Order: sequence, then C-alpha cells, then structure tokens
Amino acid sequence: MDDLEFKSSTPLTMGVELELQLIGPRDCDLTRAASDLLVLVEEIKHPGEIKPEVTESMIEVGSTVHQRHGPLNDELQVIRDVLVSAAERLNIEISGGGAHPFQRWYERQIYDRPRFNRVADLYGYLAKQFTVFGQHIHVGCANGDDAMYLLHALSRYIPHFIALSASSPYYQGVDTAFDCSRLNAVFAFPLSGRAPFKLTWGGFMDHFHKMRACGIVESMKDFYWDIRPKPEFGTVEIRVCDTPLTVNRAAALAAYAQVLCHRLLADRERHDAEFARLGEDLYLVYQYNRFQACRFGFDGNLIDPYTQHMSTLREDILATIAETYQSAAALQATQAINDLVYLTRIEGNDARWMRECYADSNSLEDLVWRQAQRFRAPAAVGKKAA
Amino acid sequence: MSLEPVSFLPAWPIALPDLAKFCVALIVAMLVGEWAERVVRLPRIAGYVITGLVLSQFAGLINDPSLRLVSTLVDTAIGMILFELGQRVSFGWIKRNPWLLATSLLESGLAFGAVFVVLILLDMRAPLAAILAAVSMATSPAVVMTVARDLRAQGQVTERLMLLTALNNIYAVFTVSMLFAWLHLEYRHDAYTIYLHPVYLLAGSIVLAGAAAYLLLGLLEYLDKRRGTQVLCVITLVIVATMLAEALKFSPALTALAFGAFSRSMDRKRHFASLDFGDAGLIIIVAFFVLTGSMLDVRFSVTALLAALGLVAARGFAKLVGIIVLGRPSGIRVRKSSLVAIGMLPMSGLALLLARDALALYPHIGRDAAGILPAAVLILEIVGPLAVTYVLRTSGEAGEGGHHGRP
Repeated sequence: MDDLEFKSSTPLTMGVELELQLIGPRDCDLTRAASDLLVLVEEIKHPGEIKPEVTESMIEVGSTVHQRHGPLNDELQVIRDVLVSAAERLNIEISGGGAHPFQRWYERQIYDRPRFNRVADLYGYLAKQFTVFGQHIHVGCANGDDAMYLLHALSRYIPHFIALSASSPYYQGVDTAFDCSRLNAVFAFPLSGRAPFKLTWGGFMDHFHKMRACGIVESMKDFYWDIRPKPEFGTVEIRVCDTPLTVNRAAALAAYAQVLCHRLLADRERHDAEFARLGEDLYLVYQYNRFQACRFGFDGNLIDPYTQHMSTLREDILATIAETYQSAAALQATQAINDLVYLTRIEGNDARWMRECYADSNSLEDLVWRQAQRFRAPAAVGKKAA
Repeated sequence: MSLEPVSFLPAWPIALPDLAKFCVALIVAMLVGEWAERVVRLPRIAGYVITGLVLSQFAGLINDPSLRLVSTLVDTAIGMILFELGQRVSFGWIKRNPWLLATSLLESGLAFGAVFVVLILLDMRAPLAAILAAVSMATSPAVVMTVARDLRAQGQVTERLMLLTALNNIYAVFTVSMLFAWLHLEYRHDAYTIYLHPVYLLAGSIVLAGAAAYLLLGLLEYLDKRRGTQVLCVITLVIVATMLAEALKFSPALTALAFGAFSRSMDRKRHFASLDFGDAGLIIIVAFFVLTGSMLDVRFSVTALLAALGLVAARGFAKLVGIIVLGRPSGIRVRKSSLVAIGMLPMSGLALLLARDALALYPHIGRDAAGILPAAVLILEIVGPLAVTYVLRTSGEAGEGGHHGRP
C-alpha cells in the first residue's frame, strides 16, 4: 500500500520528540493548560514543533532533523526557553519525567466526548492510567530494509535507553520500586512490545497487511512497539525512553542512539550472520532484560542475546560506549557520550535524583516543584561537581 | 373524677430551638440544591440561596440569623474561603505578568465608574453612590470558589478568575474603608482620619496575616503532615486571626485573604499541601449560602428592580470591557477573556452588610434608592453561580460534575 512506502532520508540524521507535563504551581498536580500555552507559543518565533496532545495537561515538542548532537542540544534549549517564558505568563510550570509522581488515575476524567468515550469503553481503567510522558528518538534510514535491520539490531540496547532515561520511580503517589514505571502502563496495551522478526521492508509490509486484513490495526500508529519503523519520516523510532528531566539529557540520549546506529551499520555483515543463526531467539532474553532495566536501572542484569553472557546493565553500557567511541568521535558526539558515562558511573539516572529529592523533603509536591526548576535550569546548574 | 391532661406530654406546639430549625432548613436546602442540579440544571448553590430566601420570608425557619453558633460557623466559612482564595494569589505571577495587575485595576476601576454614574443618574447622593460603587467592584469569593471546587475546575480561566476576584476584593475593602473615613469626616473634624483609617486597617491586617502565616508554616514544619493536622491548623488559625482582626478593628476579610496569600508565598519548603476539607466542609458551605439567601430582601419596588438591572448591566459591561481590552497583552485570547469577565459577575452577599452600614448614615434616603443594592445582589446571587458554572464548563476547564467515580 502506498501509505506504507518508506520515504528515504539521510542516514544517521536524528530528531527528538518529548512529551512534557504541565504543572499547576499551587498544588504541583497536572493542570489543564496546553491550549492556552500553545496560543502564546505561536506568537514567538521558535524552531521545531510544539504540538497539543490528547490531554490538556500534556504538550509535545519536536525538534527538527539534525546531523550532530551540538545543534540538536542548542535547538532543544531554545524550544525549552520559549516554553518556559510562555508558561511564566500563564503561571504554570513545565516538567520532564516519565510519569507524574502523584496524580491519581481515578481522578483523571475522560471527557464526555464521543472519541474519548470510545477509548474509555475499549480500554477501561487503562485509558485513565495511560497518562505517561515519553521521549521518542528518530534516526534516519536510507531505506526500509536498513530501518528493519536497525530495529532488530537496536533491540539488544533497549535496556540501555530505559535505564539511562528512567524518570518515573513514583506513580500514583507511591514509590513503585521501579526506576521506570511508565513502561508498565504501556505494556498493558495489546499492541505494545516488540516488532515481529521481519528483516526486510517487504517482509514487514506483508505482516502489516495481514494485521490490517484481520482488522486489528488501521495504520502504523496502532502499534505501540518499543521500536518501530516510521515510513513517512524514513526513520526508525525508539520509544522506550521516559522524558528526561532536562532537554540536555534528551539530546544526549539521541546522540547515543545515533552513535549506536553508526556502529551497527558498520557491523552489518556480522549482525546479519547472527540474525540468521539466532532467528527469533534474538528476542529470547528481551523481556527479561527490559524488566531488569525498568525495575533496577543500572543495577539490573542484562543477558547478551548473542553470547548469553550476563552482566549488570552498568557494565554493559560502559563496555558498549567504550566499543563505540570511534563512532562517537566521528559524529562529534563525545561530549554527550561522556555525560552519559558520568551519569552511568557516578551520578545515577533521573530516577535516583528524584528519590534523593524525596528523601530530602519527604514531599512529592516538593519533588515535582524541584523537577520543574530543574527543567528550566541550564545544563550546568544543579549538576554535582565531577 | 375528671380527666387530667397527661402530664408527661409536652405543651403543644413544642418549642424547637432555633438551631434545630436551622438544621431542618439545611436539609431542605440540600434537597433543593440536589433538585436544582439534577432537574433544572442550576448550580447547587443557587438552590441553597433560594431555599434560604424562601424559608426566611415565608416559613419562619430561619427567623433569627443572629444564631450564635451559626453566625460563628458562617464567619469561619467566609474566613476559610478567603484564605483559600488568598492561596491562589501568586505574587510571582503578577510580577512576571504585570498585565494581570493592569487588567485587575482597569476592570475594578471601570466597574466603580460605571456603577457610580448609574447611581448618580438615579439621583443618589455622591458619597453613598461612591460607597455602593466601591462595594460592587468586588466579585463574590464564595460563589467563585465553591463553583470552581464543585466542578473541579482548573486552567487559565479558573486561575485568572480567582486572581482577579482576590484583587478586586482587596480594592473594595480598601476603598470602602477610605470612603467611610471620608464620610465620618462630615461629622468629626479630623482630617487625618481619612488617611489614617485605611492605612491602619490595611497595615494592621497585613502584619497580622504575616504573623499568622509565619506561625502556620512553623506549625506545619513541626507537626506530622497528615491531612487532618493541616486542616485543623488552618481552621483554628483562620478563626484566631479573623477574630483578632475584628477585635483590633482591622479588616477580617483582608486578614484572611492576606493570610492565605502569605502562607503560600512564604512556604519555600512546600509544607503546605493543597487544602481538602472533605465532606465536612460541605455543611459550612450550605449554611453559608442559606444564610446569604435569608439576608436577601425581596421587598423592593419595581423601580428599584429596574435600577438594579441597570446597575448589574453597567457593572458587567465595565468588567467585560476592562478584561477584554487587556486580555491579549496578558496572554489569553478574546474568547477566554470574555469568559473570565462573565465569571466575575457574582456579587458578594457581604455587599449587603456594607451597604446597610452606608445606608444607616442616610436615614432619609428614599425607599427606591435603598432597594437598589439588595435587588442587584438578589439578581446576582441567582445569576452569578449560573454564570460561573457556564464559564467553567464552556472553557473546558470543569473536571466533572459533583458525582465522580471512586475506585
């Protein structure tokens, strides 16, 4: 079908989408403000896109397409500043984080409109619980076959992105014990999980058409997979990241995806051979690894699907970064990658920062407040000295 | 042997204490409120007000609004409402978006001017007209807060409605006290009064509120932050602060409002969670609106009613113009500014008390003139909740109706 034609894009270009929380400063709960914020944002010239989402307490920003980490980081900072200045006029705060720490799902109302009612009827309480905030990373691919190759090759590294971005330890007012609780809300939906093991675009199209013929899906948008191809952009899209607390972290994560893809494209022959050897067994350890990353962050276990070797996620990330350092240098992403090394080794992820804040003040309201302040602050502020 | 009356039976008719009568009125009010919402789609509080009005006029259930306990309850209710409203005032927001202050000054100024002109045209004497105009600057905090809470409204229209309401109440208290001082000057030859009285009232209220806020935050830091503790601290301190303000001849209203505002702006460590009085708060709200209804006076002439309609229209139009003109620079579109303006319509029942004080200075005033403000308040007590409900629903900021699902 023509709607599934894979639009070629420059390989290894990247772009970022972020879902952000809109917070009322009085009670630090989610507040309805998206449409008012959009009115103000329209008045200011800014790069990228700032878009509404289904709920009024969420806003989505999208970067333009970038070749390098530096300009992407700069652009996200400009977008953030535009958002923050508009939010100040409306007395709202903007915050990152994969989930709001204490909003109550049963207080989320499904508006009395046909579209929302249909969703609520179909998914019941899931529809209300699905107020979570993620980061999506797009990496450009020359063609659909490349996209399918990268999709499966990246699957091994999905736990890295989960642990590095994890920022939803609190959910519905409790410490979930997970670093990333957001993905648990996503997993509940029937079309979540991983893409089918199709290694060519033709094979994937075949799968899609069968699913459509069954009446299960209408378009690619109905798939909630961790990684999915995005034919109309000509990209492969990583969807497991929580929205980080700062845009700088978001840019660094995109750079990491770019570096991995650079390396994976260079290693293609070896991986193709592995895919042929393993077949569907490539995904044997996938659920285990993903759970470990969500639950324990850097301390979780990771089993290498190729060697069945088990190590901690922390070790595996550091080893991967060491292996891909050449790619990082070639893509001028060493700054971003060094930041990720520092955070993996010493600083810990956003989930840890959030738990430390809560331990300090014993108040989830205060935590949300600090998250919002952290979102505003330039990268250097609030970072501990190395 | 003749039959003696059975001695253990009470004398008929029995004498029911006023408080019991009042509680019966509350039950009736809750039924009417429920009926208003379900059947007529009117806001509940309009039902409470109508109940109070009807029962006091015809049924004699609320003969004595000076019921000690009840009036204390109601004073506390007003204090709590103003405190909560004060919490919505963010000094930081006004600083970052000064157009809000400009909007507030403009809408209040225009409303004052419009009402003053109408009253002068109706042949009212200038000082009295000025007092009534000052009173009518204020939007009813009780109506705005109660409806917003009932609908669980949140968003720009709600926030602005509350901020502008808080500000125009401050202006009203301030202006009225200044005007009273000015009127007193006609009897006393003391030029300082005009300036000193408002300054004493304002400064005193603010200092008292600051002290109360400091104390409250200290308590909250020390006490366990369970929900009950916080509500208890707030209620007790609001009562103490407003009663002290009364005794010291500050403004209790201003004190409660500033107490709320300070307790938020001084709360650097976020000890203050959002207030939730739970279902117990409902009885105070019902009592408040029933009493407001019972204070309404329906014995005004048709002329007074027509004049009141003119006053209401002029006031509403002035607020609409003021808020729309500066809406765009302050960051919202015309549609939303007009919604905010419509939401500002409710007039405070407290206006009646102030107006009574003012009228007392002019014993020879005509019946028509005396009836204008009560008539205006009556119109707005019914129309006001309707307007706020309409505004919060239309703007899409209402979370839901009173009945929401529990897990």
